[in-house]
Amino acid sequence: MELSQPHLHHEHERDHEHHHEAHNDQSDMLREWLKVAVLLGLGAYFIYNIISGNLSNYINVRFAWLSYVAAALFMLLGVFGAYSLLRPKPHEHNHDHDHDHDHDHGISWVGLAIVSVPLLLGTLIPSRPLGADAIQGVNMSVVAVDETLAPTDPATWNVLDWLRSFNMNSDIHSFDGQAANVVGLVWRDANFAENQFMVARFTISCCVADASPIGLPVVFDDAQSYPTDTWVQVNGNFRVEDFRGSEFPVLYATSIEQIEEPEHPYLYP
Amino acid sequence: MPLKRLVGYVGIVIVVALIALRVAGVSLISADGSLLSSFSTTLSIFSTRFLGIFIEAAPFLLLGTFTSGLIEAFVSREDIARLIPRNPIAATVFGAFMGIVFPVCECGVVPVARRLFTKGLPMSAGVTFLLAAPVMNPVVLVSTYIAFGFGTILIGRFVITAVVAIAVGLIFALNANPIEVLRPTSLAPAMGGSGLIDGGNLIKPKRRPLGEGLAAAIQLAADEFFEMGRYLIIGSLLAAAMQTLVSEESLRQLGTGPVQSVIVMQALAFLLSLCSTVDAFFALAFAGTFTTGSILAFLTFGPMVDIKSTLMFLGVFRRRTVVYLIVLPLLMTMLIGIWTNLNLSFR
Repeated sequence: MELSQPHLHHEHERDHEHHHEAHNDQSDMLREWLKVAVLLGLGAYFIYNIISGNLSNYINVRFAWLSYVAAALFMLLGVFGAYSLLRPKPHEHNHDHDHDHDHDHGISWVGLAIVSVPLLLGTLIPSRPLGADAIQGVNMSVVAVDETLAPTDPATWNVLDWLRSFNMNSDIHSFDGQAANVVGLVWRDANFAENQFMVARFTISCCVADASPIGLPVVFDDAQSYPTDTWVQVNGNFRVEDFRGSEFPVLYATSIEQIEEPEHPYLYP
Repeated sequence: MPLKRLVGYVGIVIVVALIALRVAGVSLISADGSLLSSFSTTLSIFSTRFLGIFIEAAPFLLLGTFTSGLIEAFVSREDIARLIPRNPIAATVFGAFMGIVFPVCECGVVPVARRLFTKGLPMSAGVTFLLAAPVMNPVVLVSTYIAFGFGTILIGRFVITAVVAIAVGLIFALNANPIEVLRPTSLAPAMGGSGLIDGGNLIKPKRRPLGEGLAAAIQLAADEFFEMGRYLIIGSLLAAAMQTLVSEESLRQLGTGPVQSVIVMQALAFLLSLCSTVDAFFALAFAGTFTTGSILAFLTFGPMVDIKSTLMFLGVFRRRTVVYLIVLPLLMTMLIGIWTNLNLSFR
């Protein structure tokens, strides 16, 4: 088994090299260049995500610095790889022929294909945040992680802030008549009446892997004219009433405005 | 080459699983709209979920491969051997914490452990190091913290790993005849083994000049990124497919049984062979629907044993030993996971 020792064969390498077939050498070179291309491509993809702001479609922007690190390391690997392929090869330590062993052959072509999957998906499919189509059911009970809500003006609260404060407050009726102004996606399922929808957001703490949809029920006479998956800003007042079998503050909208997708589509708990 | 064939088989299994999921998911997705528009929507959601996991995990994989490259280039086996206590029990416990100094994932740990064995490292310490190091290191600490925050999963992951690794190490300490445990190539020359893994290196330990060492480390990091990256990407594709195509309802059914959920996650851990530095992000996809015990079993068993580490174990240990190295951690993490589910409750 040489699996665990792929990189320690410089000594043998020099002997092998001489009776290496020409077409093998060519295919090795091609593969090495493709590796470099994938590394540089991934680096460029990370940089593109950072500059375009698409990064916020995928991860909590609090961890954006990790992507800076990844971009730098991919670039370093790619540039170094290109440099070591281009420079005239010294005879003493020929690092570029590490792959002369059969465990590395074959797999690497497959491996190369697999490693380019993120690059293909990232460039071929337009970058979009998770939308209403990704929602299977909306969570309306959000546990406040930190029990002290910032004493901010409720007029600026988002969907998450409201759900948290519902959860923390033992007297749900105290929200009766409270004014609110929230932004979110329109979402509805088959059980919604014509004048109802949900103004929904995704919360993510790390990346979209842990995305969880949350939302507030909205009632508006003209609710039908706002299609599912459009971003809206909802202005209105809460009325505590029966919603799906329990008492819950329902947002009775006074005005709804269709808006552009926000810069940060997700909320970070 | 068995690895090639195995990777092929795993690939086929994954493709079949994906098709099965697709079939299972079709009824869910075509609920509204035409099939074509729902397909492009599904593809878009799938792509976002996949790239989310990949973008979050890639920096950790890179950091892991750079560390591994630097260790390979600059740390000699003598440096490591000098640090180990002589007392077997102290050495076993020490083995569990060696990962703090040598942050290697489960792929990097096997060659290091083998090198240590040829230097006459006690069996128990080596086994404990082998099992614990992929989790008990700063890189995994940070990635687990970023994925789950400070809490049950983070603490549980480290405590369970230390306990299981030390327990297995002590079991090996009872039966510490290296000749019965190790393959001849992993034995120290004093034990009658050939002990020659990397030729002349054993006789004349050479320290590389800085520039040359760094160049070698970068080269190794690039190679290892491709080696390990494909396991990460296949795992992320599968996680994203699962989240996109399988309804939360059916997942919850699979993931709520206190025993069943643990076994399902352990099977996934073994099959997916994710790198320990990034598996926390994969597990996160399951955290909402699966039991806490099963997530802990996944995060502790996976780094100790999976397809790729089993293959590597076979290069170091005799077959019978490999069976022990798989079965003992499997049963221990399974029992701890099930016990956690039955006795502890989390919000």
